[in-house]
Amino acid sequence: MAVSKVLMPKLSEAMESGKIIKWLKKEGDRIQAGDILAEVETDKADVEMEAFGAGVLRKILSPAGSTVPVGSLIGVIAEPDEDIAAVASQAGGAPATPAAAAAPAAAAAPEMASRPAAVPPQPRREDPAARTPSPSTGPTAPARVAAAPPAAPATALRPAAAASPAPGDGGRLKASPLARKIAAQSGVDLHVVHGSGPGGRIVRRDVEAASAAPAARPVAVPVAPGVEFEDRPLSQIRAAIAKRMPLSKAPVPHFYVSSEVAMDRGWSLREELNALEGQPKISFNDLVLRACALALLQHPGVNASFQGESIRVFYRAHIGIAVALEDGLITPVLRDVHAKSLGQIATEARDLAERARQRKLRAPEMSGATFSISNLGMFDVTEFSAIINPPEGAILAVGSVRTIPVVTADGLGVGRRMMLTLSCDHRVMDGAMGARFLQDVKRLLEEPLRLLV
Amino acid sequence: MAKSFDVVVVGTGPGGYVSAIRCAQLGLNVAVVEDDRPGGVCLNWGCIPTKALLRNAEVLNLVQHASDFGIAVGEVRADYAQAVQRSRGVADRMAKGVEFLFRKNKITLFPGTGTLTNARTVEVKGSAGNETLQAGRALILATGSRPRSLPGVSIDEKLVISSNGAVRNETRPASIVVIGAGAVGVEFADVYASYGTQVTLLEALPRVLPIEDEDASTLITRLFGRRGITIKTGVKVSAVKPGGPGAIVETDGGRFEAQQVLMAVGRAARTDGLGLEAAGVQLERGFVKISPTMETSAKGVYAIGDMAGAPLLAHKAMAEGVVAAEAIAGQHPRPIDYGNVPSCTYCRPQVASIGVSEAKAKENGREVMVGKFPFTANGKAVALGETDGFVKVVADKATGEILGVHIAGPEATEIIHEFAVGRTLEATLEEIMHTIHAHPTLSEAALEATLAALGQAIHI
Repeated sequence: MAVSKVLMPKLSEAMESGKIIKWLKKEGDRIQAGDILAEVETDKADVEMEAFGAGVLRKILSPAGSTVPVGSLIGVIAEPDEDIAAVASQAGGAPATPAAAAAPAAAAAPEMASRPAAVPPQPRREDPAARTPSPSTGPTAPARVAAAPPAAPATALRPAAAASPAPGDGGRLKASPLARKIAAQSGVDLHVVHGSGPGGRIVRRDVEAASAAPAARPVAVPVAPGVEFEDRPLSQIRAAIAKRMPLSKAPVPHFYVSSEVAMDRGWSLREELNALEGQPKISFNDLVLRACALALLQHPGVNASFQGESIRVFYRAHIGIAVALEDGLITPVLRDVHAKSLGQIATEARDLAERARQRKLRAPEMSGATFSISNLGMFDVTEFSAIINPPEGAILAVGSVRTIPVVTADGLGVGRRMMLTLSCDHRVMDGAMGARFLQDVKRLLEEPLRLLV
Repeated sequence: MAKSFDVVVVGTGPGGYVSAIRCAQLGLNVAVVEDDRPGGVCLNWGCIPTKALLRNAEVLNLVQHASDFGIAVGEVRADYAQAVQRSRGVADRMAKGVEFLFRKNKITLFPGTGTLTNARTVEVKGSAGNETLQAGRALILATGSRPRSLPGVSIDEKLVISSNGAVRNETRPASIVVIGAGAVGVEFADVYASYGTQVTLLEALPRVLPIEDEDASTLITRLFGRRGITIKTGVKVSAVKPGGPGAIVETDGGRFEAQQVLMAVGRAARTDGLGLEAAGVQLERGFVKISPTMETSAKGVYAIGDMAGAPLLAHKAMAEGVVAAEAIAGQHPRPIDYGNVPSCTYCRPQVASIGVSEAKAKENGREVMVGKFPFTANGKAVALGETDGFVKVVADKATGEILGVHIAGPEATEIIHEFAVGRTLEATLEEIMHTIHAHPTLSEAALEATLAALGQAIHI
């Protein structure tokens, strides 16, 4: 029996390092494949880490509380009589295998533990095409995922049904076979579905509920034109690419429209509202959220997503709210904003932001936005342009409310002004469309009583 | 002086005794009230004793066909009275088992008839005196059902008998008309015919076992016909009167004469005299109306089993008993999936099913794939000499969801559970397909039917 390395798994696409909350097995414990070894805190959630090799947990190299990069050696599983000195000496934070070093390129790879002997290092390129899973074994071969469903047999099932979605990125995704198939066919991403079955297992009704709520359905990624497309569930690899490609900003042709909004009346309205006892405090951002939601319903062309051969237009406004964290950015999603009062928006947005900072968001709260808002007003930023969060079609960048000299009918006066900049995906909309939307947002904010009706 | 308990259960059939035991397991102090022997209809007059009679019929058939196995047995004589006596012995043993379980779980049994005077009080009139029982936490009603008759026909248990009479009569008639070809009618038709009674089976609906898949009905019709059972379907009985050899049954499809008539047209909730009005318990179409946790319209009063509506099956009653007990104990029981209750008929060959029939699936607008595998192609069945029947799997074409499974054949009632578990786990045909089935077993037919649905059957 070979020595098995226990490596820090990559539990989400964006994960670069993980913190070991606690070890559930101690040195000397006998381990079966599938045993839960430890609990790991990632950027988004706490996840249980499963053992892949069997044997005895000979050595724990990263104690509870330590944070280590993805792919680092954190423990060794081997038979009691095996020499592990050579393997254990590789510890020290550095990714232990070439495969792990290439981790960002292999988001779908369940690198829970790898046995170097069985894992020939594969040449990797940063070319996304190289990340396509190949049938050959290797660190990324799905066959290494303990929870992976059996390879799709040649059956009378439709191809889409046969391709059971892979389980979570290393973390085991609990879903019934039927739920997986219905999800695959209806394009529901199981990672954002809340499981109501025993032990949080995702069952049929959960997927059906998720697919009934149209905007909860993650939309397909923007893809280069010229290829034939249909709305299909994303494989793990595709999802990783979809997440990464837009980071270069290249595939989404951005254009920007800006407008200055007079916030004098919005300012007084907010003061009046916040003077009411027993009401939640309303922020400027809440006003912007409400204005955008109402305007999005008027301009579904902006509340839209590029789908390759079609543009998917949403009739509900689920708005992502960019929340700055110490070490990054997260965009929790406030759903059905158009149907919520200012008070509701204020309460729920604050709750989302707080939980985002505490990393206590649930998976469904982190996806499914149809539009996003990024507000840097609190940092005294006058104006800026935001990068669209695909597959959304637009994002609004909100600056601070400034008191500045303004020209009025009577001459020079003092006014409160706020800059809004809308970043638009040119594949989805044109300048005029974005401008008309922005005009409506501006009008709603400048005549803020409209936000109350 | 009233006696106080956490929970009082009225009726100790499979619903009542299971709920009482589950309540006791959850730390509740439980009393049960029973006007007959513990175990209810199931143990005393239904499921269990009839299975004993059917086993006799099966053994008799096997012995009669001993020569097929090269075994000479000489003249075969079967004493029906002894079959009934054996059946009573089996029922007695099971009823004693329930009494033992009550003692083991420290459940107090009050023999007598229970009547609710309000939503927490049961008056028990018993041979050993009367008692007033107070239920501190909840009452569970589990009084079951009784055989129903047709309008204008009274069950006297002499000329017109019900299953209650049939299961205890030690003499069998030379001829009988069985009215109703559901599970009860078909099972008694099997027993009587096996012992040599001339059986006429009447059914108002177009086929025998009308709730089963049509393929199962067709098979049973053919095999029963071969055994000399007369089957008339789609006939409505207008009158049953004395005459001829005993009774004359008039229908819109002719007159039928026999020594006795067995009324097997269904069962009705047993709620009269229970005091439902006093407790504020409402009925709906003759059955007690319940919530998903079995609570009735009266808070703290629960109803389970036959009295709470279809399907009138012991295993459904037991499942409801557990749900009620756990809800009373403050747990959050998983609601019962009434679409996933197996249905079993223990005639020869047995018929078992789960989910919907092929016709029903199509009616529901599902595009289906259907796989059928006959036991004639199953090695174990051939070795047993029991090759009548099939396994039929109905699945959703797009997802492979198992919509319904219909089995007619040897041990069908055992094989069905593979699919019951599969459906509970939301398995699809693929998971059944990838499950290695031991060879040689009757269950291989389940695998092959699954493969057949996917167009990949090996052995046919």
